[in-house]
Amino acid sequence: MSLVKPTVDFIYAWQHPAEIADEVEAELRFHMQMRTSANIEKGMTPEEAQLAASDSFGDFDRIKTSCCEIKRVFPIDMKHIRMGLYIGLACLAGGVALIAVNLPHHSPFSVLWQLVAIAVLMRAFLIGRRKQ
Amino acid sequence: MVTKAKAGLLQGTLDMLILKSLSAGPLHGYGIGQRIAQISGDELKIEEGSLYPGLYRLERRGWIESEWDVSANNQRAKFYKLTRAGRKQLIVEEQNWERLASATMRALRAN
Repeated sequence: MSLVKPTVDFIYAWQHPAEIADEVEAELRFHMQMRTSANIEKGMTPEEAQLAASDSFGDFDRIKTSCCEIKRVFPIDMKHIRMGLYIGLACLAGGVALIAVNLPHHSPFSVLWQLVAIAVLMRAFLIGRRKQ
Repeated sequence: MVTKAKAGLLQGTLDMLILKSLSAGPLHGYGIGQRIAQISGDELKIEEGSLYPGLYRLERRGWIESEWDVSANNQRAKFYKLTRAGRKQLIVEEQNWERLASATMRALRAN
């Protein structure tokens, strides 16, 4: 399953934010070093090479923050979880309604179950409408 | 609205190029940038920093995975490689891109 590792990484990123930030920084610094070395090979002075590497890379801190934030994003598409929630609520409402119609009509529990069924159905309807 | 659609297209293109560059084997971030420039005949130059958020997004989706290793110049570097899901996604992206490119060309050539 390809989502196992991203999920483990996601949990690790929330538990160890400092380590993740250090790891991202090390990776970005490696890139800058490689670019600086390539610029020196092209004939630039070390200072020019470093400046050019920094210019071509962009905003280091913004990129680092962006990478750290991506690490902390839940890897599973929320659309699927939401869909599961709707189906679960609809099943629950159906189950409650089924119990309600099978109880004797004179029973006070029947009225109670019918009210619960209406409440669950209304809740499912309102959640569904809000997400659209 | 136009800006959003344009940004989406560019991001999707970068994702596809990253996947394509890794199809030949594992590379570190700098190597991926170099490889994209090489396979596009130096026609495509991406802002180097923007590559990394792209890499992290692809890793989160499970299309690539990474591990720290030693680079050719004996430095610790993070190497990325395609997962099986990533290979499948690359095929899908290539097909989508070909369809889009041929449809655009047809539209441009229409009288």
